Amino acid sequence: MSVEQKRKLITCTNIDKSFKVPEGIHQVVSDFSLEARENEFICLFGPGQCGKTTLINLIAGFELPDQGSILVAGKPVTSPGPERGVVFQNISLFPWLTVMGNVEYGLKMAGVPKKERQERAQKYIDLVGLQGFEHAYPVKLSGGMRQRVGIARAYCIEPKVMLMDEPFGALDAQTRYLMQEELQRIWQTEKRTVIFVTNNIEEAIYLADRIIVLSNCPATVKKEYVIGLPRPRQYTSPEFLALRKEIQQ
Amino acid sequence: MNKKQKNITELICAVVSILTFLILWHIGVKGELGRLMPGPLPVIRMFFATLFGGTIGSRTMIIHILYSLIRVMAGYFLGAAVGVVLGLSMGWSRLVEAVFSPLFRIIRPIPPIAWIPISIIWIGLGEDAKIFLIFLASFCYVTLNAWSGAKNVDPDYLRAARMLGAGKRQLLFTIVLPASIPSIFAGLQVALSSCWATVLAAEMVRSSEGLGWIIIAGMNNNDMVQIMTGILAIGLVGMLLSMIFRKVEARLCQWNKSGS
Ligand SMILES: Nc1ncnc2c1ncn2[C@@H]1O[C@H](COP(=O)(O)OP(=O)(O)OP(=O)(O)O)[C@@H](O)[C@H]1O
Ligand SMILES: [Mg+2]
Repeated sequence: MSVEQKRKLITCTNIDKSFKVPEGIHQVVSDFSLEARENEFICLFGPGQCGKTTLINLIAGFELPDQGSILVAGKPVTSPGPERGVVFQNISLFPWLTVMGNVEYGLKMAGVPKKERQERAQKYIDLVGLQGFEHAYPVKLSGGMRQRVGIARAYCIEPKVMLMDEPFGALDAQTRYLMQEELQRIWQTEKRTVIFVTNNIEEAIYLADRIIVLSNCPATVKKEYVIGLPRPRQYTSPEFLALRKEIQQ
Repeated sequence: MNKKQKNITELICAVVSILTFLILWHIGVKGELGRLMPGPLPVIRMFFATLFGGTIGSRTMIIHILYSLIRVMAGYFLGAAVGVVLGLSMGWSRLVEAVFSPLFRIIRPIPPIAWIPISIIWIGLGEDAKIFLIFLASFCYVTLNAWSGAKNVDPDYLRAARMLGAGKRQLLFTIVLPASIPSIFAGLQVALSSCWATVLAAEMVRSSEGLGWIIIAGMNNNDMVQIMTGILAIGLVGMLLSMIFRKVEARLCQWNKSGS
């Protein structure tokens, strides 16, 4: 394997995906290709209902493509795997487990002894800033805190790739800004390859190394922008605003 | 109003409402009605007099209560255990569902007391037959609820668990089972009152002890006080059972409550 290939952690080539619906066949993804390098932060930016969650489900291995191939770390994706952590659009914490129970779940399934897995889970609970809430149940947490748990839960299995499906979509504007800063801090502390889905352009420019703009359904790559601005970025800097204007056209 | 004040207010209301009821009852049976119906005092007196000391038939009240309770508990827990296992398996596996659901759909609408005549002919409605009837009452409700609980598990929980590396067995025990608990508890609650009704019916038909026997024996002796005492005991024990049930549920389903 050449150095160049090694550094490409995700390779999607010409993926098609459609669903059978009562009216016939509904094509949701069409000829989608993507390459992600190690530790790259990629934002998939697209309109509502365009097939973003379907793309995440395909890379996560919850669904299989009709056509094309998906390779993660050189291996074809056929099912979910521990090298791919997913943060869900609707969070989907296990409500019957505490924050600690949720974060350590993956390690528990893997048979890691209690003491070790709690130490490791604690590290990620601290990383997302939830120390003191280890024994709280999800119902008692705010939306922002729940999504912090969602991020810690996926991080805790130490995946190479993090797939994040509009993680902040349901948050109010202020919490959303805060969580964007937090995610950037987390990512800079624990570098991962991230595929981050959003329909918010500011969020994409703030976080991404590269923005992939998706078309309307069926989703396909419409355009691509490399964001070279230094971090942390200012939402109101002239460069930021210029980019925003350019992408929104 | 803080919580303590609120509790005190509720307690006062409860006491006032029960006292008013007893007073109205006491006054109501002063006239003509008194010939058909005893007042509250003889009933309460009989309840406490027979509780540990005097007897109804050949046993004290507490022994009658224990007879009924033990029958209920044996059938209830047996039915609940089988119901949870069968219901979850039906919700989890298409094959198990296909095999058991047609049978279950036929048995479920038959009220447990409809089996009493058959039981009498076959095995004479002894202890095992009574427990079997109660078992049926419990089993049907619990199976139904465990089944629908397991079928309606949020698919995102399953995806999240698979993403975190859970295997098939682990999905069943760490996701499907806990996610179904609220639904299972709803079934357990209905099952409990259904079992309580069934044991009384069974005891009324054939038995020589238990709360159902007390009221039937009271009828045979034309002893209104005994009938009313039996009814009072049925109400008190039923209330106690559902209070205990709710405490257990509140503990086990803590995570499901946003309040408190
Ligand atoms: N399993 C499925 N069966 C049938 N249709 C589906 C299925 N999954 C998705 N779809 C359809 O595919 C389209 C895209 O869905 P998807 O959830 O991927 O979009 P999205 O971009 O994530 O939407 P949102 O902005 O609401 O998050 C929708 O019209 C949806 O109804
Ligand atoms: Mg979506």
